[in-house]
Amino acid sequence: MLKIPGNSQGTFCDGLTRRNFLQIGAFGAGLTLADAMRSNAAAPSANTRSRSLKSAIFIYLPGGPSHLDMYDLKPDAPKEIRGEFKPIATNVPGVQICEHFPKQAKMWDKLSVVRSLTSVNEHSDSLVMTGYPDRVNTLAGHPSFGAVVSKLRAAASGSVPPYVSLRGMSRGSEPGYLGVAHRPFTPSGPGNANLKLARGVTGERLDMRKSLLESFDDTRREIDASGTMDGIDSYTERALDMVTSGAVREALNLSNEDPKVRDRYKGLESFLTARRLIEAGVGFVTLSIGGWDTHGKNFDTLRKQLPKVDQAVSNLIQDLHDRGLANDVVTVMWGEFGRTPKINGNAGRDHWAPAMSALVAGGGLKMGQAVGATTANGERPKDSPYSVPQVLSTLYHAIGVDPSQTFPNGSGRPMYILDEREPVKELL
Amino acid sequence: MGYRSRPPTFAIPSDFLLPSQHIAMRIIVSFFLLASFSSISLGDTLKAFPASLSIRGVDDAPQLLITRVTQDREKDGTADASYAIADPTICRIDQTGRVFPLANGKTTITATLAGGRIEIPVTVSSLETPRPINFANQIEPILTKLSCNSGGCHGKIQGQNGFRLSLLGFDPELDYMTLLKESRGRRLMPSAPDQSLLLAKATGKVPHGGGKKLEPDSEEYKVLRRWIATGMPYGQETDPTIEKISVHPESRVIDKQGRQQLVVVAHYSDGSSEDVTRRTQFESNETEIASVDGAGLVRTLSMTGQAAIMVRFSGQVSVFRALVPRAQAQPFTFASKNLVDELTSRKWRELGLAPSAECNDETFIRRVYLDITGTLPTTDAVRSFVADRTGDKRDRLVDRLVETPEYAYYFANKWADILRVKRRNQAGRATGTFAFHNWIRDAMANDMPYDQFVREIICATGDEIKSPPTVWYKEVATPENFVDDLSQVFLGQRMACANCHHHPYEKWSQDDYWGLAAFYGRVGKKQLATPGTATNNQNRLQFVYVRSNGSVTNKRTNQTAPLKPLDADPLTVDGTEDPRALLADWMASPDNPFFARAVANRYWAHFFGRGIVDPIDDLRVTNPPSNPELLDALAKSIVDQKFSLKSFVKLICKSRTYSLSAEPNESNQADKQSFARYYPKRLSAEVVFDAVCQVTGSPSQFGGLPTDAFAPRRAIMLPDESFTSYFLDVFGRPQRISACECERVNEASLAMTLHMLNSQEVQDKIARAGGRADELAKAKRTDEEKIEDVFLSAIGKKPTAAQLSMAKAHLAKHEKDKKQAYENIVWALLNTKAFLFNQ
Repeated sequence: MLKIPGNSQGTFCDGLTRRNFLQIGAFGAGLTLADAMRSNAAAPSANTRSRSLKSAIFIYLPGGPSHLDMYDLKPDAPKEIRGEFKPIATNVPGVQICEHFPKQAKMWDKLSVVRSLTSVNEHSDSLVMTGYPDRVNTLAGHPSFGAVVSKLRAAASGSVPPYVSLRGMSRGSEPGYLGVAHRPFTPSGPGNANLKLARGVTGERLDMRKSLLESFDDTRREIDASGTMDGIDSYTERALDMVTSGAVREALNLSNEDPKVRDRYKGLESFLTARRLIEAGVGFVTLSIGGWDTHGKNFDTLRKQLPKVDQAVSNLIQDLHDRGLANDVVTVMWGEFGRTPKINGNAGRDHWAPAMSALVAGGGLKMGQAVGATTANGERPKDSPYSVPQVLSTLYHAIGVDPSQTFPNGSGRPMYILDEREPVKELL
Repeated sequence: MGYRSRPPTFAIPSDFLLPSQHIAMRIIVSFFLLASFSSISLGDTLKAFPASLSIRGVDDAPQLLITRVTQDREKDGTADASYAIADPTICRIDQTGRVFPLANGKTTITATLAGGRIEIPVTVSSLETPRPINFANQIEPILTKLSCNSGGCHGKIQGQNGFRLSLLGFDPELDYMTLLKESRGRRLMPSAPDQSLLLAKATGKVPHGGGKKLEPDSEEYKVLRRWIATGMPYGQETDPTIEKISVHPESRVIDKQGRQQLVVVAHYSDGSSEDVTRRTQFESNETEIASVDGAGLVRTLSMTGQAAIMVRFSGQVSVFRALVPRAQAQPFTFASKNLVDELTSRKWRELGLAPSAECNDETFIRRVYLDITGTLPTTDAVRSFVADRTGDKRDRLVDRLVETPEYAYYFANKWADILRVKRRNQAGRATGTFAFHNWIRDAMANDMPYDQFVREIICATGDEIKSPPTVWYKEVATPENFVDDLSQVFLGQRMACANCHHHPYEKWSQDDYWGLAAFYGRVGKKQLATPGTATNNQNRLQFVYVRSNGSVTNKRTNQTAPLKPLDADPLTVDGTEDPRALLADWMASPDNPFFARAVANRYWAHFFGRGIVDPIDDLRVTNPPSNPELLDALAKSIVDQKFSLKSFVKLICKSRTYSLSAEPNESNQADKQSFARYYPKRLSAEVVFDAVCQVTGSPSQFGGLPTDAFAPRRAIMLPDESFTSYFLDVFGRPQRISACECERVNEASLAMTLHMLNSQEVQDKIARAGGRADELAKAKRTDEEKIEDVFLSAIGKKPTAAQLSMAKAHLAKHEKDKKQAYENIVWALLNTKAFLFNQ
């Protein structure tokens, strides 16, 4: 997990830490049998991934990053609004971003921002991960974007988990009505530990155990018409494969990476991990950089934060391009909401849900744009207003998932992945 | 209705039987003559439905159904029959059996097939007279059939591209306004009907996101066009409204690769009826067994089994049931032990299946232990049961098991899932959840009658400690929660859809939903602070009481919802009564059609792995039971036994059907719904966990529970959901988010397999000093005896000769470290399907 110095690191203005509130480190890892049977796809072996299956990376900036100081600067607004940062030109004429984002400015043809979003005032990743706010999800249990990927991609994932969270569990990473099988793999808890041989077991011993199991396990799986027995047989094979070959462990082991590359990602290792997981065939990765709830010392904090973000994002996106993955991987970066245009008495900005920006990259979407605009003081959308679910819908389209699909919830009601699903047309 | 267009009045010929002059296009179906038999004795007998046709108006083209009656079967002959019309200028008939009018007058259709012959009198009238159209009865069903108003298109809450219809057409008045007034009136243009956006879009003349939905020469187009051309009438206040639909036939035995045409008739409030077959939506619930097309033609495929075809028209639903038998019935003898066996075997004979053989004693004792107590039998229990030579030992075992504490714990756990005994990780709620769980467990142990059990929960008043069932009202916090949970758990009805709109697969309307919600109206709640603790909600006890007034508002009408149970008359209460008591009376009355059936089906599914209705809490009309007579008999037995759940468990477990082997025979290999063999079930999360502890001899401790000798040390004993366990989560323990048992995942998953194969948790249990492997390594018995012990303990059967020699060889190879060798044997057994499944 990243550690970035800052006085509000990890906690929000109400003093509560919400990340990792469920420290069980679940490894749902998808892959229930019914999914496997339904999708009818033969499972490729580890490390070979059909590029027809696209992936997504969600970068979450918890706390609510200031739209006015990052991608939506208002240099002509009064001093108490425009703040301390100046805009700089990007390599796309007409698009300007913050002076602390020089690396992104040089590669704006590979990036786009949606400036005209509205959000909700909740310190929760529920809306940006599921498309539904926390207050709705407490009861409704809409699934995380990653859980949907897990549900649809389980069979094609081989021995790689389809859904990985590098930031633990949160409301927005829950699978809700898709079921606990679609919780993310979190490389910190028991799920990860299970990838290494248990203490007291050697490879040789595991082989002996396997041959005993082959002899003892004489139940004919045909007696179970539901297919669950069939599933256990195939998962036993795949699970042993995960322990012995360890494609996921390999991906998580950054020492396999060129030292020069590791240098570029210094202090931002989770971005490198995300890229390696995607290369190994993971369908969805979420990660975060904390420290955005800047009620005080907004500009001092951002002067430290923004260069990190610039470094992380430019590295990741450039790497994806260099590996020919730009169109196969869609990336988004956003927080819960924007921040108040008017700077408060503590040189801070407070929560502001009526306006928010989202950075989007790759996935075959149209890059080099700034979609929409806010009003002169950055208070609310003026042109092309969009909602968070509409951006999610665009991202689903980008990875080839139809957000108008339904899955039944606990009471049998067919639930759309997204209710609001008109995509951001400028990006298509 | 200020916005209704008044249609012009037409002169209606007076020689019609129809009571209202506003009914358009009706056939008079002669229901009193369901079938008129042919008098010719040669060949098969034919039946016709309807027995005579009365066609009114040019749009009326009813379906005729010809049925061959051969020996004991009835078979659809509609498409195979030859038709002759006495006066072919009056009407014509196509090969699907559809009759189209050509001129006013009378004639006769003669159908012949396989030597049989039948005559159907036909009257055609009113062809020249345009009939006024009723929007709700004629136009809305077209929009539904073309799926304009489906949830994926204009029926979704935001509409589609600025055009929104009510979901599945349940709000005709709103849809009428939308079509007429929105979009500057361009949707409907009476002066140039074909230019109306509605028709231009639907036919694809103007680009339409949803594609081409309508052919310009189709019947639907003609009706829509005429409706627009005649000034878009809404209809009259006095027009009849739909009351129900019927489908003919209701059920039939059909051979594989066979077919059956359906006829759907709508019945109206004025007593009239009409053929709506082509305007109806059909859907099969088992598409491997039977499919259906938009014209109501059912085709069976190559699988044996039963399928239900849902039939839906204008907010009304019905169902057709198809039974597809094996081509060659498999003869068998089966000695019934109780009513279960009589009714299951009757179904097998209908399907031509034979049941599997009975299972052996080792299998039976493991099965019944796991199903009744959630616990593996010990090695000694298996040995002594097998050695027992008395004839009724299985029945006596069942009698004994329902009296064990494990029975009470296991079933308390089951009920606690769907009663949502949930702490949400809040320490202050533990008092309540522990008390409620205790109360449920006591109710199970003492066999509290089920009707009383439910009544005490629904009508609970008091605080969480003195009256634990009030804790149900912690998660059930609103009238909507009350309807959703109560109907799903106790009535087997999923009502949640009807909160916002008419239920798409049921007859339940929003008024039915809010009629149930109304019973919540007087529920009062107070929060009692616990002295000396922080005054946040976590530390307050809830107190439930009955207010002297209070009501619930029907979201559709914005009026006070009357108290109305499902399919029952409205009730009233005075100032001192608790409406919930009246609801409980209604639920528990012996003739309630939902209550006993719901619990019977739920318990059946617990033992047989699948409900007679599946999913278990979806007992809607359109999801019929695979064996209706069985479900009825089980429900009756529950009522007769005064709602004793223990008696019901005994009835099920003492049946011969329950003791069938899981090994299929040639005839029941593909059977998934008639219980002709035992369907293996993966052990549920808590049961596997406890079984691992038992087999490895390594018990577990759960955080926050007492540590004394009497403390609950088993997962099936946990009082609520807030006990952290990666093991339980990964094996699919529910979080009690919903009142559905489906939240529990019993499928295979990679994470689960990985945890069993390679987790430190399981490895540590296997290798614990003093655990099973350690004990076996040290024990003085022969290896052979010890191997047999551990096999019996884990999978309830002795090793085969090959397995025994494999295990012995393994031990011999690791003479120096026998403990490790036994660990490997235990590990291998824990990962077999024989361990993970109840079979």
